[in-house]
Amino acid sequence: MTDVITLTGIGRTFAADPPVIALESVDLSVRRGDYLSIVGPSGSGKSTLLNVLGLLDVPDTGRYELEGEETTVLGDAARTALRGARIGFVFQSFHLLAHRDVTENVMLGGLYTSAARKGRRERAHAALERVGLSHRRDFRPTHLSGGERQRVAIARALAGNPALLLCDEPTGNLDSANTAAVLDLFDELRADGTTLIVITHDETVSGRAGRRVRITDGYLTQEPL
Amino acid sequence: MRSRLDIRDLFAEAVAGIGTRPARTALTVLGTVLGIGTLVTTLGFSATAGNQIAGRFDAVTATEVTADIPPPAGPDLPPRVEWGALTDLARLNGVTAVAGYARTQPGQEPSVRANTVRDPERVLDRALPVVGATASLLGAARTGVAHGRFFDAGHVDRRDRVAVLGPQAAEQLGVTRVDNQPAVFVAGKPFTVIGILGGVGRANQQELANAVIVPWTTGDDTLHLGPVGTVLVTTALGAAPLIARQAPLALSPNDPAAVQVVAPPDPAALRTGVADDVSGLLLVLGLVSLTVGALGIANVTLVTVMERTAEIGLRRALGARRRHIAAQFLVEATVVGLLGGIVGASAGILTVVMISVAREWTPVLDGRLAAGAPLAGAVVGLVAGLYPALRAAAMQPVDALRGPG
Repeated sequence: MTDVITLTGIGRTFAADPPVIALESVDLSVRRGDYLSIVGPSGSGKSTLLNVLGLLDVPDTGRYELEGEETTVLGDAARTALRGARIGFVFQSFHLLAHRDVTENVMLGGLYTSAARKGRRERAHAALERVGLSHRRDFRPTHLSGGERQRVAIARALAGNPALLLCDEPTGNLDSANTAAVLDLFDELRADGTTLIVITHDETVSGRAGRRVRITDGYLTQEPL
Repeated sequence: MRSRLDIRDLFAEAVAGIGTRPARTALTVLGTVLGIGTLVTTLGFSATAGNQIAGRFDAVTATEVTADIPPPAGPDLPPRVEWGALTDLARLNGVTAVAGYARTQPGQEPSVRANTVRDPERVLDRALPVVGATASLLGAARTGVAHGRFFDAGHVDRRDRVAVLGPQAAEQLGVTRVDNQPAVFVAGKPFTVIGILGGVGRANQQELANAVIVPWTTGDDTLHLGPVGTVLVTTALGAAPLIARQAPLALSPNDPAAVQVVAPPDPAALRTGVADDVSGLLLVLGLVSLTVGALGIANVTLVTVMERTAEIGLRRALGARRRHIAAQFLVEATVVGLLGGIVGASAGILTVVMISVAREWTPVLDGRLAAGAPLAGAVVGLVAGLYPALRAAAMQPVDALRGPG
């Protein structure tokens, strides 16, 4: 099984008057090591797709297999555990805890997983090493640049050794220099075999991906680079 | 596969969460500090004060009952209490000694002198109270003889003209020894001095030290002291309240209300009374402060939950279950309550000790109170944190994670 993600006929409708169709029969497969970007204007269903992919929301119809495991039939507890263990999130606004140092923030990544408590600090340091921030491990996030903060967030996502890195507008709060640094990091991670999904509306970001899909009014279309 | 949260991590996260805003945490803790502090001070202070008051009632005072019998309303009426009634009182269970006496009215003390020599240069006459007593006075008044002896039932029956002097009366009269059978003249009538008293132990009978004490029969004959006016009773320990109730009936069956009994206050009742007085109001005050403190914790925790929506969302994204979120905020509120309880209990104990030192009292502190107060603070925090924790757990923080945080 080389597919990390297989979406088949995913649909999600929100109860309203009239009902809002956020996703309509979405099919998507992501293979291990893929670098996929999802683009689309706001209101197109990007957030809903992110929530579904991140196991934060359950689709109304269709099947979602993560590493071959059907997730739409899982209960809340099992879905939460799967999310914590197999998906690393990277957010636009980093969501670092301002009063904890960089290492502690990265250690949060393994807090709720079944990973051994012992060695958590070492794994956090290793993740910081991967994003090139070993020299900042004792800093507070408030003393870091935006790019460094996002790299800390990426290290936190990597600390759990996830199957997939799910990035939501990862460069939305960054200037061009920091954006370039983060994108370079994504290239390095991909070269190491990390599976990346980047949701963005930024053409330069999506242009660096290996594959691009566009979502419009809930429909997903493959798009050539 | 299950998400899990090690208990050590739970506490570490909660403590870190509290430490995020030290000033706010301190103010939140203050509410519980005031509540617990007031409660501990109140309970400790009332225990200390109650013990202090109880300590004043030593075993001696607590066994003394005194009955005052007013003179009969008219000169021809029979006395309210017969001398013979004293033996009835002595038979009561719990009575260890009974004595009665009649004495000269204040202001009408007869002149007393130690010899018949008329010396124009010296004033030999002393106006001293004269007491006609039963032979059992020594035990009932907690006194003894320093020289000689006290009169006995034989002297009383024979109406002998003998006298025992109180130590101050003997000094005033210049009587220092009794082996030479000195005489005193009371209103011109001679009495043989057979003894001199030592100190009088009974606190409310110090006037005996200044008195000339004669058998009541002799006193009635020669000085018209009249019927018994005061009855002194000593009781077994703990029997005083009972004897105080029974004494009027035993002494004056026809008119018990005429007998005025002075009994020591019941120490237990007094202690409780004082404790109730002191604690009642302050206890309510403490409970009110504690409630306000709890509301403070609940309010601040709720605000914190709202502020940390993004953090809650992040933790959920990292694999935290709802119960992990709820547990974290519960522990945060409990730790805040516990801190308040510890600081409040310490402050309360310190206050009690300082008040005791200032008043030279012995501080009395219940160990259960000292140990229970921080626990009570923790429980207050736990209860106060319940609602905010459930709110946090119920959050749908997915959207909070998107967009600028």
